Amino acid sequence: MRKQMIISISWKNVWRNKKRSLIVICAVLLGTIAGVFTSGIMKGWVQQRIDSVIYTEVSHLKIHNPDYLLNEELAYTVPDQSGIEKYLKSDQNILAFSKRVKIMTMASTSTGSSAIMLNGIQIEDEKAVSKVWKKIVSGGGEYLNNLSKNQIVISDKTAEQLRIKNFKVTSEVIDSLKRLEVPASTIEKLSNIENIRYKTAKLFKNELKTLLSKKENKEYGKQIFNASVHYRLRSKIVFTFNDTNGKLVYQTFRVCGIYKTQNTMFDQMNAFVVKDDIAPLAGFSDNSYHEIAVIAHEEKDIDELKSEIKTQFPELSVLSWKDLAPDAAMMTDFMGIWYAIIMGIILFALAFGIINTMLMAILERVKELGMLMAIGMNKKRVFRMIMYETVFLTLVGAFGGMVIGALLIGFTGHTGLDFSSVSEGLEAIGYSAIIFPEIDPGFFFLVTLLVIGTGILSSIIPARKALKLNPVEAIRTE
Amino acid sequence: MSVIEIKNLVKIYNGSAVQVTAVNGVDLTIEKGEFTAIVGPSGSGKTTLLNMIGGLDSPTSGTIVVDKTDLSTLNKRQLVDYRLNNIGFVFQAYNLIPVLTAKENVSFIMEMQGAKKDAITQRTKEILESVGLGDRLNSRPNQLSGGQQQRVAVARALASKPKFVIADEPTANLDSKSTENLLDIMEELNKKENTTFIFSTHDQRVVNKARRVIVLEDGKIVKDERRG
Repeated sequence: MRKQMIISISWKNVWRNKKRSLIVICAVLLGTIAGVFTSGIMKGWVQQRIDSVIYTEVSHLKIHNPDYLLNEELAYTVPDQSGIEKYLKSDQNILAFSKRVKIMTMASTSTGSSAIMLNGIQIEDEKAVSKVWKKIVSGGGEYLNNLSKNQIVISDKTAEQLRIKNFKVTSEVIDSLKRLEVPASTIEKLSNIENIRYKTAKLFKNELKTLLSKKENKEYGKQIFNASVHYRLRSKIVFTFNDTNGKLVYQTFRVCGIYKTQNTMFDQMNAFVVKDDIAPLAGFSDNSYHEIAVIAHEEKDIDELKSEIKTQFPELSVLSWKDLAPDAAMMTDFMGIWYAIIMGIILFALAFGIINTMLMAILERVKELGMLMAIGMNKKRVFRMIMYETVFLTLVGAFGGMVIGALLIGFTGHTGLDFSSVSEGLEAIGYSAIIFPEIDPGFFFLVTLLVIGTGILSSIIPARKALKLNPVEAIRTE
Repeated sequence: MSVIEIKNLVKIYNGSAVQVTAVNGVDLTIEKGEFTAIVGPSGSGKTTLLNMIGGLDSPTSGTIVVDKTDLSTLNKRQLVDYRLNNIGFVFQAYNLIPVLTAKENVSFIMEMQGAKKDAITQRTKEILESVGLGDRLNSRPNQLSGGQQQRVAVARALASKPKFVIADEPTANLDSKSTENLLDIMEELNKKENTTFIFSTHDQRVVNKARRVIVLEDGKIVKDERRG
């Protein structure tokens, strides 16, 4: 029998009891949307983490003096500096690299202090490997430039710790709140605290609590809080550290910019200054540095690049982002399994509904199946007919679900999903609070395979039921 | 030339309490092109006999030889092929596939036999025209009357030119006009294509048309009459 004939009968059978089939199709459709969308969120979440790992935290490769990794001492600079630099410049696979002097310091202002890693960088080189310069917050000044000396870019978190981040309701804040359509009655209440500076977020939040009603606080508190942030740019921070001779050195930097990445831990630790402003003070020559951050053209070439550099410079430590952020690397490897688990669980649950529907369909068609077997349809064809029908039933819903899921991912991938209600927890472990879902096209291939597999497996029980029928008895069934 | 040779056929059903002998020592030979009606009261063994000839049920003892093939030597899979390639079935309740059109229902068996597409199309059209449904090729069973559906069933049974057609009470669900019409068509096809027909029936009109009437009582042939 021509395959098309069986396929055609199976397809038509799907639509015999439209209502019943549509219920199953809708269940599969919703299940698939859930699976596709959840996987999209997960993928977007992990991808953003990896982008952050590579483009703000660790870059593709990091080259160090191996001793520096054991003990971050000033003396452990990268040996054979001109050799490695020449090699990196000539390698076609390398897009950019940035050399950094890294000095552990104690930062203090008149109101606070904090331990900070000062990264002495060369501005243009650093911009090519790290996106920190793009992460300057609104009202947070600007990134380093070569026009003024002794400038520093610190994080929002550091600004908070050093009390450089304050809260003040100014006339500009009130104007911006009006633009954000905060009710006049609420804004009116804020006039009582106009131009009063609150040194910490806690003090300002407490003030808002006493000033505004619970409802106002819930609805507009966050907007007022964010709009009232005030960074005291140009503030002086004094950094204390030991130079290469072990002598205590002081240097003052003026805050020119405030950055914020999605990783609070990174932010808390790192501040950026121009290398020439710090290196001589610490006792370094022009060409001494502790770290080279490398960005490659293609991410897939990283492992190869790493081993090439290692072979050329066995005295250096070369670590890839996977070595430096194993959690993110594990998440990438885990994604494929994650997709299969999510879709597997959903389809497994749906399989019960599909089996039930198909069993009902078989019971309704006992007489017809008996006739088919009587006139000479063999077991293989009967099985195939039921299997195709089950696969079609599943595939229709799954296809619809994949299309809607993909559209949903396309839309939210553009607008982003705001998880800021739990942002502190997410950012503390390096994940963004706003997630832009995305998905690999290969995922849909996997889903299609899983759906066909589910269809085939779900058809076994109904098909066995059909094959057990005795044609003589089945034909007599009313 | 004999198509079917039955010797000393016995079928005993072993119920939980009693043993029922449905067919009890039947000897019968059906010749090519015969138009045979098997009649008898309910429980006389008509359907059991037809089921065994059709390879749907196996005898307790005795032999059925169809075209030199002893059915008892065939396994289940071979019996399915035997039914597909040798027999046309017409059932009391038409038993068409509801999702297929008249044309598709008729071509179904030929499709299963793997016939060529052109041959299927031509034969389907020809046979549906023979049963007077040349204008209803694309109608679904639910768009046809009972009589029309049974004519499609006859067309389906005959489409693949089987060695014989088994029709179990084919007119039981039809009104008298449809019955007359169907019998005329079957008789005409029997003559035109020399197809062997075996009916089981209660219907006197079928008996009147039959050229051979076999009367069964308590599983035994009590009368075997050839006419004209």
